[in-house]
Amino acid sequence: MALQEVTSAFIKRMQSTQTPLKQAWKLQCLRTYATDPMQKELGELEESVHQATPTDAAGKRLSQYDPTQNAKQRKEQLPPSRYQFRSPRFYRGPLHPHQPLKSSDPASREFVPGPFTLPRLQQTYESTIAPDLMTLTYQHYPPGFERPQKGERLREWVGDSPYFKNRPRRGPRGYDVLPLLRKPITFRNVPKLERVTVHTMLKGAADDSAYLHVAGMVVQNITNVRVQTHAVRKSVASFGLRAGKHVSVTSELYGENMYHFLSKVIDVVMPKIKDYKGVKGSSGDSSGHISFGFKPEEVALFPEVEVNYDMYPPKMIPGLHVTVHTSATTDYDARMLLQAIGVPFYGKMVD
Amino acid sequence: MALMRPSLRPSATLQTPHIHQQVRHATLLKRPKRPYTFTQLITLSDGSTFLHRTTSPAPIYKSTKDTKNNPLWNPSSQKLLNVEEDEAGRLKRFRARFGRGFDVESLEEGEEAREGEESVPRERQEESLLDMISSVGQEAEKKGKAAGKREEAKKSGKGKGGQK
Repeated sequence: MALQEVTSAFIKRMQSTQTPLKQAWKLQCLRTYATDPMQKELGELEESVHQATPTDAAGKRLSQYDPTQNAKQRKEQLPPSRYQFRSPRFYRGPLHPHQPLKSSDPASREFVPGPFTLPRLQQTYESTIAPDLMTLTYQHYPPGFERPQKGERLREWVGDSPYFKNRPRRGPRGYDVLPLLRKPITFRNVPKLERVTVHTMLKGAADDSAYLHVAGMVVQNITNVRVQTHAVRKSVASFGLRAGKHVSVTSELYGENMYHFLSKVIDVVMPKIKDYKGVKGSSGDSSGHISFGFKPEEVALFPEVEVNYDMYPPKMIPGLHVTVHTSATTDYDARMLLQAIGVPFYGKMVD
Repeated sequence: MALMRPSLRPSATLQTPHIHQQVRHATLLKRPKRPYTFTQLITLSDGSTFLHRTTSPAPIYKSTKDTKNNPLWNPSSQKLLNVEEDEAGRLKRFRARFGRGFDVESLEEGEEAREGEESVPRERQEESLLDMISSVGQEAEKKGKAAGKREEAKKSGKGKGGQK
């Protein structure tokens, strides 16, 4: 009995190898039985197949390939298409069996395709600005040089009190915020642009939400990114702000959008501003983020606003705050990067 | 880019697999909205062009004033400093007719400067070059140097504004 089974299976396989393309989908099923005891015999067979020259085999296959004919000859239906995971519409917590996909997965609901272009500014940065910055900030240390050891930034609690044991360390003397350390710049950590935040706060929005809508349209058109609105957290009577009212609009730009926005601002908008002096040299938060602003009449110079200026109520066009977040840890490095990109600075430089 | 998506924020617990808290509500995973963008060709005043993505449907944007013809971005250009808007040549004709000797001279000088930008006396050029060389070695005064450089640029910008 067993011998009969083996021979019948062998004959079947012979047939399938003779007409491989007609039943290619069946062959795939056969492949799952690759661990059968038949393996040895098959191995010999396949060797003999491979002995023919590859071009011959390919020509033969090509002549046999006729998908319409195959479809007509097929008796039974093809198996249904592969199972596809459908990302759920709702996130129901980490314990739910049906978990959403990561946003990087193209099947995810939150997937954002792109980037679609290689912006000019990015190319300039990679080809010339980054190497230049690295050279400019290069600090040579002769071999065998050891850096002088600095004291601890956070002080220990010194005293007889038993409570000083295992107590968290004291903050630095004189100020309570630890400034970022500036590491020597190598090819790994050349300062680069990370993101740009465009922000506008509208005084009139507390009373009239039209300001918010107009500002949202302006910012979205300028930046190519959907805006987010922000509500007041705490009421401030002197500014006429009440908690819970939406008064400001921001959009965060990353990657492609960021580069396009910055190059547009630098090449087109800034030079068009009347009597423009540049960005104030004291701008920056001393950890590598530099911000500057545009007045309402300057915002009207953006090509996207200019192209259909009549669309916006002229009194509602907002001013903007633009914050450029760089990976530099000091304002000096960040300013150097921005200067290389083309942003002019004026006045006293504060680091 | 994807990390900061607002709709991802409620599912922040996803990133800490060790703390499992049962959530009884469901959070809608919104599809991110993006404005439609077009490819636009920006033509700068000197004829150079580049492409960018923008929400503006105009296929070409021609700029009349940009980094290529703004003295703030070109502090060493004599041509841009003495720029005089005389497209129809009316001012020139007026000078030719009523101008005094010094007016005519200044006009000729300006034109010379416009052709080749070498109207700056040689000594001054050398001075500026020496300035650059001497400041290279001073590491301690790095910051001061940067500041000084910028202030020059600012002056040139002022000069331009005054002419308007």
